[in-house]
Amino acid sequence: MTSTDVSFELITALLILGGAVLALIRAVKGPTTYDRVLAVNVFGTKTVIILALLGYIGNRSGFLDIAVLYALVNFLGTVALLRFVESRRFFQ
Amino acid sequence: MMEHVAHGLMILGGFFAFSGSLGILRMPDFYSRLHPAGTADTLGQMLVFAGLALKVITVSLAEEAPVDGLSIGKLIAISLLLFVTTPASTHAIARAAQLGGLKPWTGEKEREDTDE
Amino acid sequence: MSDPVLLINVILLMIAVGAAIAAMWTRDLLGAVMLMGIYSLLLAVEWANLFAMDVSYTEAAVGAGAATILLLTALTRTGTREKAGPNFHPTALLTVIVTGAMLIYGTADMPRFGDPQAPATVNVAPEYIAQNVGKVDAGEDGPENDFGDHVPNAVTAVLASYRGYDTMFETAVIFTAGVCVILILRPLSPSARRETAQSQEGA
Repeated sequence: MTSTDVSFELITALLILGGAVLALIRAVKGPTTYDRVLAVNVFGTKTVIILALLGYIGNRSGFLDIAVLYALVNFLGTVALLRFVESRRFFQ
Repeated sequence: MMEHVAHGLMILGGFFAFSGSLGILRMPDFYSRLHPAGTADTLGQMLVFAGLALKVITVSLAEEAPVDGLSIGKLIAISLLLFVTTPASTHAIARAAQLGGLKPWTGEKEREDTDE
Repeated sequence: MSDPVLLINVILLMIAVGAAIAAMWTRDLLGAVMLMGIYSLLLAVEWANLFAMDVSYTEAAVGAGAATILLLTALTRTGTREKAGPNFHPTALLTVIVTGAMLIYGTADMPRFGDPQAPATVNVAPEYIAQNVGKVDAGEDGPENDFGDHVPNAVTAVLASYRGYDTMFETAVIFTAGVCVILILRPLSPSARRETAQSQEGA
């Protein structure tokens, strides 16, 4: 695999990493809890894509299994978080 | 030819994912932030995974190796999973916010940083 | 940079450090919990990168999933704002610096990474490898000399064959810990919840 061959995946990965940084800034800034949950959810999606790209670039097919797991954990985490937020109002 | 299509799909997907995050950072209010999170991200991940699957097929065709069907199946599975779960979780967050009594921004003064 | 995987990893680690600093810096505890979830997710990617797939699965499921939920449940019993206080704790800083220095001093005695002469690789590991790996297709010499159709991965084979009891009692310990956590964090009865709310308003 030549270096020019890999560069497109690398550019995509860098774009998505940039997006992840922006989502992280939103998670830090808030201002409401819902913004943070949304940012964490988006960040999780970005992580899944990054894992798939890393698996392709590094030529490791095992990364795809972890990506499936992360997609599931991300969704379950968001739903569980929201159940807490809805049922016990522990924030203003 | 197919390789260029795959690269184009990937870059386009990366662009959509990035612009979705930019929207989440730049939009003025929570409900408007849902829009880039739900739509741009879903499209972005689909394009990236389609590009990756196409790339796997092209590379194995070029090397005259058997196509790795399992990897492509996993890529499609992840993409479908995200296609279902991203809008669903966005919807759940919006519903929770509405039930929690968060008022949408209606155009008066900036309401950023009201909580901090 | 020549190695794209290295470049992506450096950026991922930088984001992880940023998330950790932000989680310590923020006064909103709910936000801190979510930032810790992001941090766990990033660390899990790094574990996968170091070929520690089992640790990566655990980090994703426990760090990003279960620990977030546990901390959120704990937050329902406390407030969601950290109490105002000094940002700088000299004693804490001193403790961290001393512990870190001792740990770094301890690494000086460790063998080089991947050293074939390291004690861990010369004593028991060859025995395990001789018994396990390569036994996958050993159908000729009968069932008594063979471990059955083992997985070719030596780590998984050792975990399953030799550390079965270890894993079983670990599971017992973790189950007990889980039961204790559920007992502490179980939902309050409505009257107790009202009392807690009143005491929080009074404080």
